[in-house]
Amino acid sequence: MNIEGDLLHTVTADDISDRRRRVGRGMVWGSAALFALLATLQFAHDAGRLDVGFTTWRPVLFAYLLWATCLCAAQVIVNGEKGKRTLFVLPAALFVISLVVFPLLFALYISFTDWNLASLDGAQPNGWDNMRQMWGDAFYWNALKNMVYYVAAVSVEYVIAFGLALLLNAQIRARKFFRVVFLLPLMLSPVAVSWMVGKSMLEVRFGPVSRLVREMGFEPSFFGTPEMARFMIMAMDAWTFIPFMMIMLLAGLQALPREVIEASKVDGASGWQSFKEVIFPLMLPVSVTAIVIRIIFKLKLADIIINVTSGGPGGATDSVTSFIFREYRDRSNVGYGTLLAMVYLVLIILFITALLKLVSRWMERPA
Amino acid sequence: MKVDLYNYIKAAQKMNRRQMLKGTAAVGAVAMMPKAAAYADGHGNVRAEILKIPGVGAGSPTDSDWQKVGEMCLGATKENVAEGELAGVELTFMGLNNQNLHNFLFRGFLKPWEAYTGAKINWIDLAQADYNARLQQSIATGTVDFDIIEMGAPFEGDVLGRGMASEMPDWVRDQIDMDDYVDYLKAPVGTWDGKTYRVSIDGDTHTFAYRKDYYESEELAQAWADAGNTTPWAQPTTWEEVNAQSKFLVGKTDPLTGLDAHGYLDPLKGWGGFGFYFLENRAAPYAKHPDDPAWLFDPDTMKPRVNNPAFVQAIQDVMDLIAADAYPADQINADPGTTAFQQFLAGTGGMLNWWGDVGSSARTSDTSVVGDVVGFDINPGSAKVWNSQTGAWEETPNVSPNNAYIGWGIYVMATVDSDEKKKKAAWSAAAHLGGKDLSLWASAYPSGFQPYRQSHFNYDEWEEAGYDRAFVEDYLSSNADSYNHPNAAIEPRIPGIFQYYSVAEDELAKGYAGQYGSAQETADAIAAAWEKITDQIGRENQIALYKASLGL
Repeated sequence: MNIEGDLLHTVTADDISDRRRRVGRGMVWGSAALFALLATLQFAHDAGRLDVGFTTWRPVLFAYLLWATCLCAAQVIVNGEKGKRTLFVLPAALFVISLVVFPLLFALYISFTDWNLASLDGAQPNGWDNMRQMWGDAFYWNALKNMVYYVAAVSVEYVIAFGLALLLNAQIRARKFFRVVFLLPLMLSPVAVSWMVGKSMLEVRFGPVSRLVREMGFEPSFFGTPEMARFMIMAMDAWTFIPFMMIMLLAGLQALPREVIEASKVDGASGWQSFKEVIFPLMLPVSVTAIVIRIIFKLKLADIIINVTSGGPGGATDSVTSFIFREYRDRSNVGYGTLLAMVYLVLIILFITALLKLVSRWMERPA
Repeated sequence: MKVDLYNYIKAAQKMNRRQMLKGTAAVGAVAMMPKAAAYADGHGNVRAEILKIPGVGAGSPTDSDWQKVGEMCLGATKENVAEGELAGVELTFMGLNNQNLHNFLFRGFLKPWEAYTGAKINWIDLAQADYNARLQQSIATGTVDFDIIEMGAPFEGDVLGRGMASEMPDWVRDQIDMDDYVDYLKAPVGTWDGKTYRVSIDGDTHTFAYRKDYYESEELAQAWADAGNTTPWAQPTTWEEVNAQSKFLVGKTDPLTGLDAHGYLDPLKGWGGFGFYFLENRAAPYAKHPDDPAWLFDPDTMKPRVNNPAFVQAIQDVMDLIAADAYPADQINADPGTTAFQQFLAGTGGMLNWWGDVGSSARTSDTSVVGDVVGFDINPGSAKVWNSQTGAWEETPNVSPNNAYIGWGIYVMATVDSDEKKKKAAWSAAAHLGGKDLSLWASAYPSGFQPYRQSHFNYDEWEEAGYDRAFVEDYLSSNADSYNHPNAAIEPRIPGIFQYYSVAEDELAKGYAGQYGSAQETADAIAAAWEKITDQIGRENQIALYKASLGL
């Protein structure tokens, strides 16, 4: 037994022969060579440079799986006990590479091609053409502009959610009942909301809301003008997701130390002063978390728009995602649609990173 | 036949319970008879016999009915395939599952075919919304995992243009009697480079539905005359008249509902590309010159004609009605489905373009109030037509009904060509589904398909089977007249045709919302977007395929 080294974390000592190590390494390099060979062959075949090849990429996928399996097995064969520890993480890492990193890289390649599913030539690299097209695409910039409005609406949603959370945190009658009732919209799918509310209750002729508006002497038109249509989309989305913010804030309120609030009352603070000086500052971390998560949700807004307005009137309600949906699904414009999605991804990462930086700087500011 | 149409006929004939029971009893008696009795009079009698399954008023057909019909229509198959000849062959069929029809019927129809031939069919069922994406992805990624496909003619460019389909053998052509097709379903539809690929199972066209009570209203007639109009207050036959009447109806009262009256209902919101058909309805008489088969693109250059004066006129007509406030409130958010089912059937608006089922829904839909006052005709025409060759208007009346979507067909994929037995099996299955007799049954009962053969318009057969002749004649004649019109507008069967429609919808929505300065600017934006799509898909290729689709 080896009595040197990290005895604390060593369960068993390994006495691995050189032959065993060679076998392990051979497995890895052999399967890697097979994978590389098949991939190169298939690339050459697809590019029309070689007649030899497969009809699909499936054999290359199998070669990758073989390599991944060999890699995992080789960890134990070559490193013994230490390799077993690696095995706790390695399959997950390979899984992530397979399903996240590789598709992302593939999408990056696709986004610089002119791939239209209807094109006989398939995906052909077209340099920066898609980027140039995006630069001049009024629909995309309009959708981005709409996203600014939609994200800005989160601030209003936050105020409402905070108010509701305070209400449900207070000693009111049937508090549990109201907590459940206020949570109900969150349990509904946005698709259901768009049909039940947008296409039914707000339907101009039959919808009960329309009838009410007509009874009040107005002519209902909920999606007729750009501003009104945008507001209605915001309202439906807010109705669905305000409960989410509310429940997070409510949890935060319930976790507040009661003695601090009571101390402020003893010191003679009014309700407003207590909220402004004690509750709100203490709630900032929860608030920031709720707002950031809500913004991430908001950036994905598409389902309600697709179902209710299809982005109209004249693109007034289009979100980036609903526009990409039309570009991709209705027009099979895979290359351009992917580029738009990649650019949006970069914008989101930059925006969220900047937001988090700002928030953390603000939270750490001296009092 | 569309489900709604079937229900309508039942409702229109006002069958009571006693009649229903009589019908059911008769069907029961027929079912008890030996099978041979059905064939007693030979092939000629099959048509009359199958129309009794399950019998008008005996409820909707079920799987056992579809199987019975499939078995009784096997005669044509037996002439070309010996019993058990195709044993061991397995085919995959990709089709739709809309309203539990389409593939559901095909399964029933083909079950006796499978038993007779020995072949086996596996099924891929798709929802309509998933169909286009699934087909396009299969094509683009080279993963065609089906041997037979139910497909609309607009996709022929994508499939036939790539040589992915199997050419129809001559024996199939003879078996299904293609000469019986209505004119517009004959070549070039279903053909590519002179070769035939399609077994038609359906026909589609837009027709004009209008409210007869508007024109029977003395009050409106008087107001029309008082407004200085010299033409009679009657159903419009041109788009100019449609617009004049729509403007006139602003501020008037609907004679049926007592609410505001409205004229023609243009859908101003997109519908996944299908919304563009409705601008085409208006544009076709202006743009489809009788001497020119092309009307959406120049066949030599693929230069879009969507911004020529004809289409601009159509867009301007819509913009005029928006400016005149002639539409119901919130029309900017009304897609075609809204105009048909939430507006027209509910008593809002006097005129509409739609496929066959809106008239039938008029009686059967719970929310419909216009069942007794709806009439049909072919699409309105125009007083002038644009000649793209001379680049000038011709002040001659023109009519051009829009045969939108052309209808479903059965296509066999080229993957079977390497195996003669499999190829014969696939084509025999397709021919069975598109058989002359079987298709009569499919057009008369709920199936998702409309009549598409000359022989389907033999009203005596329908009457003999127990259908209401007046309704069948009124409804079907509007379809037949559109199908057989010598100047019908037939869409180009080129790759990506719905991409063109989809982007046009987006630009039209902007134009209707006032974001472009004029109809011309809107049309120019569509044309620019279409040019981009053409370049992306490949201009030279599109030109060749467009010419092929036009039969040039």
